[in-house]
Amino acid sequence: MGVSAPLLSIAGVIAAVVAIMVDGRRAVAIAAVLLAAGLAPSAATFGGAPGVAVLAGCAVAAVLLAWAGWLGGRILPWLSGLDPMIPAFAPPDRLFGPRSARAFGAAAAIPVASWVSFNVPVGQVTVSEGLLFPIAYAWVCGVVRLLVARTVEDLAVGVAMIGIATGTAWLLRSGTDSFGGAVLACTVAPLAAFLAGWLNGRSSRRARPLIEAEA
Amino acid sequence: MNPLVIAAGWLVLGLVASAVLRRRTARLVAIVPLVGAGLTFLAARSSTAAVPLGGLSAITGLDRAGQGVLIAAALSMVLVILLQPSIDPALGRSIGVVGAAATVAMSSSNPLVTGLVLSAAVATLVLRWIAQCPGRVTLAAGRVAGAGTAAIVAASPLLPLTGFTTGDRPVVVAALLATGVAALLAVYPLGGWAAGVIRTLRPIEIAPWMILLVPVVLIIAERIPGGVLGTGTPVFEHVLLVVGLGSAVWGGIWAVRGPDTMRYGRVFMADIALCVAAVERASVSPAITGALVILVTHLTLAPILLRSRGSELVWPRRAAWALLSGVPPSPAFWGRLLLLEALAAGNVGSTIAAVIAIGAIFIAAVLACAPRPRPVRTPAVPERRARPRPVKMPALPERLSNLAAWLLVALGIAIGLAPQSLAGFVFGH
Repeated sequence: MGVSAPLLSIAGVIAAVVAIMVDGRRAVAIAAVLLAAGLAPSAATFGGAPGVAVLAGCAVAAVLLAWAGWLGGRILPWLSGLDPMIPAFAPPDRLFGPRSARAFGAAAAIPVASWVSFNVPVGQVTVSEGLLFPIAYAWVCGVVRLLVARTVEDLAVGVAMIGIATGTAWLLRSGTDSFGGAVLACTVAPLAAFLAGWLNGRSSRRARPLIEAEA
Repeated sequence: MNPLVIAAGWLVLGLVASAVLRRRTARLVAIVPLVGAGLTFLAARSSTAAVPLGGLSAITGLDRAGQGVLIAAALSMVLVILLQPSIDPALGRSIGVVGAAATVAMSSSNPLVTGLVLSAAVATLVLRWIAQCPGRVTLAAGRVAGAGTAAIVAASPLLPLTGFTTGDRPVVVAALLATGVAALLAVYPLGGWAAGVIRTLRPIEIAPWMILLVPVVLIIAERIPGGVLGTGTPVFEHVLLVVGLGSAVWGGIWAVRGPDTMRYGRVFMADIALCVAAVERASVSPAITGALVILVTHLTLAPILLRSRGSELVWPRRAAWALLSGVPPSPAFWGRLLLLEALAAGNVGSTIAAVIAIGAIFIAAVLACAPRPRPVRTPAVPERRARPRPVKMPALPERLSNLAAWLLVALGIAIGLAPQSLAGFVFGH
């Protein structure tokens, strides 16, 4: 049965759009899970079951490590740190906010990813197939999320997106080392989730006594 | 010794130092780079230089130049720590991670591994910088330098270029690698983040990037065109030549116009941009020799010039600025002369831009050397009395600091007298 490139692209694009827009304390884990799910059809096409297993493992590890990091940040008492959700700076009020910038970036990423998928061959994928589109789109969205970041959480989401997109690109490469490369690239997402969870855990531990004191 | 063992040594010692040391013993953080230098010295030398343009393979090992730059950078970092008036013990974590990343990056021939370890180093530094001073400039470091490492990571599935040396693929790879190098070396238009953090943070906070990371990325950038980039080679070289020259001129001008506190950082960035431009213009001697002489000069003088403002060592600082001015026989003169020679072999435009940059750096060094006019004594007003006094060190460390600073100045003079021999001693060529 042939591969439906538009179907693969739609799954990847939806996942990448959600990942670039998601906010909140669980943003890294949500982005990792959705992006892994969205790129899984592409991974299955060229990496088979092991390819899907890499992305599934990455998603599960991101969720578990985000939770473990949050728990560790709450329990371990000897470190203080920054809240990843608080913007590092406050820009003046504007008509378009940071999410609008992300949405604009996601729209601008479509022609970039399209050009890459039809001009840059990777491994066995020929340029006429356009199968690189969802991966290139997810990678560009990750970079956009990095470039318009206002919080440490934004940076972590961007890094996780780039890691998963690069890992899937390694699966498309289809060489002897493609599986190892995919695993290595995908480890970035769980690590980013752990870091964000850790910082969230520490800031939530610090916030509670403050609220109690104010009450 | 395997480079991974050396990296593990850096990492473990850095984490332990940041957890164990307290403010009184904080200066012992210097043990981290000192042990790192020792382990690197003991490493078995690889005969081939690692160029991150291959497939996923084992860490190939450190060649002579890689070993030299890592040892020199680590020893420079030791002296930076020892000469600082005050140290935060948590800095050991950043130094450990960046040292480990630099070791792996220098010995890896795989762009994915190189990109990932550089990402880890940048992430560690950026988190520390944001925690120290949350703001637009520290976040910009994460945005731009993070995007740079992401570009190197993105190039990894497209490498090696065996069978694809023509067409769009080598061009895309070259553009990604050039973006990564420019962002990590803070070359304009991707260099604003470094100017911001130099303005905002204490010099010791920026030292791991300047001393441990930049020399390694510069050496890697010098090696990339020698690898198989196909039709992407001219793209990589020309992009870095143009942005490097522009950045050198811009950095030189702002070193003259900018505040005193940022002057050394601006001069450092301008020199590194000039090195990138010259090395990409002509990746053979004399460009490489000039870049290595400039690197050795900065690694020697950075411990003196990265001291916080208001601290002592006035005369060693002036002597260090004189050695950076480019007046013969200072080491910077020979380095910049070789870079200029390499650029002059290309076209007049490159030569003119390089001369403007070198002239601006000279003026900045003269301004930094010049004694400041004594302030006119006026009746003390409350605001002036409230101003914090400069940090004073206890007598013995101050004497030792002076001795170490003058020894570094003497080493700088020695480099100026025998630039190629000493650069060859450190880097092997």
